[in-house]
Amino acid sequence: MLTVLRGGHVVDPATKQDAIGDVWFKDGRIVAPPPGGKADKEIDVSGHVVMAGAIDIHSHIAGGNVNTARLLLPELHRAIRARRAGTPLSTAKWSTYETGRLYAQMGFTMVVEPAMAPHASLQTHLELNDVPIIDKGALTVLGNDDFLLRMLRKGEAESAINDYVAFTVGNTRSLGLKCINPGGCEAFKENLRVFGLDDEVPFYGLTSRQIFQALQKSTQAVGVHHPLHLHMNNLGIAGNIDTALDTIDAAQGLPLHLAHVQFYAYGKEGKNAFSSASARFAEKINANANVSVDVGQVMFSDTVTISSDVLKQFNSMPGGMPKKGAIFDGDANGGGVVPYAYKISNYYNAIQWAAGLELFLLINNPEQVYFTTDHPNGGPFTAYPDLFALLMSADLRAQTMARLPTEALEHTTLPSLKREYTLYEIAQMSRSGAAKLFGFTDRGQLGAGAVADIAVYKPGKDVAGMFRRAAYVYKDGELVVRNGEVTQYKRGKTLNIRPRYDNNITTRLDAYYDELYGLPRSIFDLPDAALPNHDVFAEVACRN
Amino acid sequence: MSKATLDGKPITLEDACREAARILGDATFPVVAGLGADAAGARSAILLAEQLRGAYDHLASKEILADLDVLRSFSMFTTTPNEARVRADALLFVGPGLSQLWPAMLERLAPGQPPRHGAQAGQQRRIFWIGPEANEAANIPATIIPAARDELPEMLAMLRARVGGRPVAGDAARQPAIDELAGVLKNAHFGVVVWSASSGIDPLAIEMLQAMVADLNVTTRCTGVPIGARSGAAGVTQTSGWMTGFPPRTGFGRGYPEHDPWRFEAKRLVDSGEADAALWISAYSGEAPPWSKGDVPLITLAPAGKEPGRGLYIEVGQPGVTHDCVEFAQEIGSFALRKATTPSSAPSVAQIIDAIATKLQGEVSC
Ligand SMILES: [Zn+2]
Repeated sequence: MLTVLRGGHVVDPATKQDAIGDVWFKDGRIVAPPPGGKADKEIDVSGHVVMAGAIDIHSHIAGGNVNTARLLLPELHRAIRARRAGTPLSTAKWSTYETGRLYAQMGFTMVVEPAMAPHASLQTHLELNDVPIIDKGALTVLGNDDFLLRMLRKGEAESAINDYVAFTVGNTRSLGLKCINPGGCEAFKENLRVFGLDDEVPFYGLTSRQIFQALQKSTQAVGVHHPLHLHMNNLGIAGNIDTALDTIDAAQGLPLHLAHVQFYAYGKEGKNAFSSASARFAEKINANANVSVDVGQVMFSDTVTISSDVLKQFNSMPGGMPKKGAIFDGDANGGGVVPYAYKISNYYNAIQWAAGLELFLLINNPEQVYFTTDHPNGGPFTAYPDLFALLMSADLRAQTMARLPTEALEHTTLPSLKREYTLYEIAQMSRSGAAKLFGFTDRGQLGAGAVADIAVYKPGKDVAGMFRRAAYVYKDGELVVRNGEVTQYKRGKTLNIRPRYDNNITTRLDAYYDELYGLPRSIFDLPDAALPNHDVFAEVACRN
Repeated sequence: MSKATLDGKPITLEDACREAARILGDATFPVVAGLGADAAGARSAILLAEQLRGAYDHLASKEILADLDVLRSFSMFTTTPNEARVRADALLFVGPGLSQLWPAMLERLAPGQPPRHGAQAGQQRRIFWIGPEANEAANIPATIIPAARDELPEMLAMLRARVGGRPVAGDAARQPAIDELAGVLKNAHFGVVVWSASSGIDPLAIEMLQAMVADLNVTTRCTGVPIGARSGAAGVTQTSGWMTGFPPRTGFGRGYPEHDPWRFEAKRLVDSGEADAALWISAYSGEAPPWSKGDVPLITLAPAGKEPGRGLYIEVGQPGVTHDCVEFAQEIGSFALRKATTPSSAPSVAQIIDAIATKLQGEVSC
């Protein structure tokens, strides 16, 4: 069926459109306007904004640590309303089903879960499989695993490390690699409580710097589009701006993605010895085109922090609100879950909020900075519409700033920043840039041949409201949202890549698992038959 | 070919599924109970309970909730059996019957072998067992601190006090061993405590154990390995967690999930008459329902040979035995695919429930 969305304001950076126009699609794909063609279905979207479906590059929506958070905090997610027909469990708060519904309602059609432990990848994929409507992807976590650290300690050839990386990414069905406090979680098992960029992992003689550099190179070598996704050392600590700047230098010009950088934008100024260092940070990012970042914006709310940075999460336990949590020493990273409440009246939280917005407003290229809240660590993904509204209005920011502790405003440059994002820039950050970051050539855009994932918004005074409830959302050309409500479920895909490797690595790994754990390595495999729907995966191509 | 019976008389599978749909569809508040199933079975069962606006419970919820209560009200430190195996230099087993609850435990944790990682690599592990069953600890080099089941909370309280350097009164016989254990845990690089709520220890004792672990982490590292309950309990709890946000004992009377360990206990729901039909699932073992009420309209999904005397019975296969299944694997602390050991044509719980759900007019889930 040939459909046309007629007369909307098409905002599509990938095709450089920012004008009134029509969007045609057929059989799940965008098509060029057929000459003199007549649509089977014509929808008048005049007065609306038309964009590609949004892509969230970093949101903790699935896996063992996320599920621990659900079970830890029943009091934080009591459901309050019954669901609509055709959408089972869609109002079960924090459930995978609700996750799919809420993302779709905001015009999102793909989300990447950024922290999949190789030894628990099946659970992550079982959960992703139960996120309806949207497409999903995941990043595999390496960098605290004994096998890699041993290889690096022995000074093995890059080709051997590449084989291990390629095998692990392929076998866990992910889109690339994440590295979380490289070596720091292993060090925590050895009872270290702080771990910096140049600290040595006990008994391996390796620094965090060496570990992430090796993985960064390897990611490039095996043809993973997404640059190494790095969660740096010293998250959340006053003065950690130095770690962040040193890490960018350590990237040596190679592609690198830094996760939730707001949590590293802290100086030590003021009487609380805690200040925003975002201006310095943004300057550095502007000068290093090889680096992309997502922000991890703090939004004032009750939330829960979920991270595979076990060392950091352990240190957060005394400040938990409410005071409880889970600390899991995994086979490699593990994870920690600690509840937290960001309060507008709290000096530190106010600095965090301001530091995040400064980064958005001071980084020049919207395709270098992404809009995450590091869901749920800085706030829930449902706060994105409010975040977009803040980026688009200096007045709205001023209104919130008026409610912050006045001393906080002395330690951020936010009051001086008048920049307002345009819809085009919002689309660069959430669509075209996000697609580029993963090498997707047929999503995040409305060019002919792209997947017909389309979000249509009704603009109004309430910018957050516009983004919260899309007027229409199409997934693969099917209408899934109308007037901000999900009208039906459909099953999305989980996208994955399969970089090539020399099969010798599997033989070697088999022997390693047998010798160390006394287990067949295959127990951690992820065969298609393990998932309820055998057609859940869709492979995307590697680079070159 | 699967077997189905109605009050002991054979009926076709097709008729059985239709009859099951009628019983559940006619009920005002049915309960999906037992839930002894693999991940796929649990998923189908929870979707069915939601579709019916009923409730669901697992046959080992008491044990599931004992651990969860400690997590939800206090905190929990855990690790994987692999990490315990390669890193623990002190191992503390708590309670009787652990090696029956997890038959491969000693093989997997290999207490007799030295740890492999850290400063402790290659050194002899120190092993203690508080309150094992007779002979249970005979084949490992463990220091045994005898304790009856009902003495465990007191022993753990004593141990925690000694770890904290506080004096304790009484029990001169066991105090030297408790003191020694406290010293070993404090000096260990990576201590690991192993327990199971299924051994009969209550949430207070588990909290005492975890509080001690938290205390130890102030100066060194210590963590725990829980042994999950029977009939797929750990996997069902995880599946339930991502599907509804809650563990079993969750109801959908209002059209959305509400978790209440008292209100949605299957035994109470049936015996009180609040539930007017029950679907009992026990695919692992064929365990019988716990309620005493004999006349609730009942559908039983159980393996061959476990047919109840009354109601509707549909034979299902055993996960990992007659069919491949995904379940939570105790030995790795995560989900894994299990290949069938003796494959048969008996249907899985998921297959039967999906067939019932299809007959129940209305929407089919995602
Ligand atoms: Zn994150």
